[in-house]
Amino acid sequence: MTDDEEILLDGRPIEPDPGWELAWVDRTHGEAVLRRGAERVAVLIEGGPSEWLVTVRGRRIGVTVRGHRDRLLAESSRLLGRRHGPADVRATLPGLVVRVAVSPGDDVAEGDAMVTVEAMKMQNEIRAPRAGRVASVEVSPGQAIATGALLVRLADPEP
Amino acid sequence: MANRGEIAIRISRACRELGIEAIAVYSDVDQDAPHVRAADRAERIGPAVPAGSYLSTEALLEAARRSGAEAVHPGYGFLSEDAGFAQAVEAAGLVFIGPPAETMKALGNKLTARRTAVDAGVSVTPGLMVAVDDAVRADLDDLGYPLLVKAAAGGGGRGMRRVDAPAALAEALDAAAREARAAFGDGTLYVERLILGARHVEVQLLGDRDGGLAILGERECSVQRRHQKLVEESPAPGLSPKTRERLAADARRVAEAVPFHSAATVEFLVDSEQGHWFLEMNTRLQVEHGVTELVTGVDLVAWQIRVAAGERLPPDVLEARPLGHAIQVRIYAEDPWRAFHPAAGRIGAWRMPDGPGVRVDAGGEAGLDLPTEYDPLLAKLMVHAADRPHAVTRLRRALDETRIGGLPTTLGFHRWLVDQPAFIAGEYDTRLVPDLWGDGPAPSDDDLQLAATAVALARTSGGTPGWGAPPTGAGEPDGDRPWARLAREEAVERD
Repeated sequence: MTDDEEILLDGRPIEPDPGWELAWVDRTHGEAVLRRGAERVAVLIEGGPSEWLVTVRGRRIGVTVRGHRDRLLAESSRLLGRRHGPADVRATLPGLVVRVAVSPGDDVAEGDAMVTVEAMKMQNEIRAPRAGRVASVEVSPGQAIATGALLVRLADPEP
Repeated sequence: MANRGEIAIRISRACRELGIEAIAVYSDVDQDAPHVRAADRAERIGPAVPAGSYLSTEALLEAARRSGAEAVHPGYGFLSEDAGFAQAVEAAGLVFIGPPAETMKALGNKLTARRTAVDAGVSVTPGLMVAVDDAVRADLDDLGYPLLVKAAAGGGGRGMRRVDAPAALAEALDAAAREARAAFGDGTLYVERLILGARHVEVQLLGDRDGGLAILGERECSVQRRHQKLVEESPAPGLSPKTRERLAADARRVAEAVPFHSAATVEFLVDSEQGHWFLEMNTRLQVEHGVTELVTGVDLVAWQIRVAAGERLPPDVLEARPLGHAIQVRIYAEDPWRAFHPAAGRIGAWRMPDGPGVRVDAGGEAGLDLPTEYDPLLAKLMVHAADRPHAVTRLRRALDETRIGGLPTTLGFHRWLVDQPAFIAGEYDTRLVPDLWGDGPAPSDDDLQLAATAVALARTSGGTPGWGAPPTGAGEPDGDRPWARLAREEAVERD
């Protein structure tokens, strides 16, 4: 780690505990054990170099390593706020679009169902992350989509 | 084996132990899947999309003909409860390993099943005995809310919606009908009153073709999300001896009201006053059949095959009694901290537990790409011990030995569960997941610091070598683009 880097969990900086050491069990798959004196904790360490996932006791914890430039970018996006400005609503898993409940120009409230995606034999409602006006709809029923595919663009609600 | 994944492997094992050649089928994405390698031979049946492969009667029968198969085991899901498939198998001169087609037809429709149960003198949940149409919508208000909309052709929680108030009914009926049509090709619905705070308990049946019927105890299945089971155990905790007897007797009544052989399950709701109601009968092997196998010592899959071949059940099966206690947890590729949202991707680390009293039926392995077309079940972890307290501690131990990487899984939920006083005491019902788990507990400060420490140490020791694609659920693919990541996180948070 360089001096201007920090480790974030949920956006909160966390200092590593210098008392621990790490030994790889299966490095290919990120299996490792943390040890401190007689203590041993099995962990899975995946991802990197900036976004990591660490599994401790069956729970996956997202860890971000951020340099100085990233920090500035993140700060500016935080200042803009999550409640305003354009927002892209994306697919969180691959599947088939079975229904589109909104059209450009529609006003949606937070939590409104916008797109139904069938995946893993289940119908998943993709909901509006916040109130807004639908700027564009990028998918149509019957369309197969990949993870991260843009579904709907939201703009600010009309005042 | 007209199926895939762990259940096809399970059936292969039974076949090979019986000295029968096991023939797998596979869609294009499954050509080298674990279930194919577990079999003696394998036949391609079509494209990844289930309608063209695992749900295609034509493709499956063609594969059976090509391979010279003598019998077809449907597993669970896919065509396992499709009477038309069973009939087509028999018409092609093959043996269908399951109950008679006429019984599947009668009981596969949940409405017909309700009528069959009532005629057999078994009480059913209060609700409609006919399909929902405009004429009966007015009666629904008399039933009282909350209601449960169910698909007559349904199963696995699909086509099912809870309705808390009349205003939400129309939308729920529309959504349920749409889901039922997509899943079963039949949008027929009926409505029951939702019985809150009930346990979901089911009785295992095994019958031969000569009227021999074994009642192999019951399973408690109340830990559910989206009306789908996550944890099952046998015997069911918290049943009075009288209730246990009544459930067994009612299950026998339903089975004896129809022509029956092979394996099936009768599902009941049991409330806190030990009242019980028939829910439905599943005319197939259940996902959770293994817990019954552990406590009774009866190999249900082997006996399905032997009964299909005309064998009679011997006295030691007909009179089998449960010994000890067994618990199963289902490990799905789902994120319990995001409302059990299913995940896709490639499995990274894969370490299954073993040791005394542990059984794992799994369809996953390290490096496997989980196809999005199918059920995200990765593994079933089962434990067996002398009594329930020891089964719980054994399960905790086994979970601590288990590691799966690359995807979010339900492991963290199960690890939490085995420390919950309500679960340890065996005092829980179907509200456990919504009420006790909710959105999941926040990580402890200790765990957060361990995670940060692990990353810091991994970086100084060269980092992970990057064994493939970034793990599903990480900030990727937007990891280095905070703007895109932000939008993505918002989408993830809300659905």
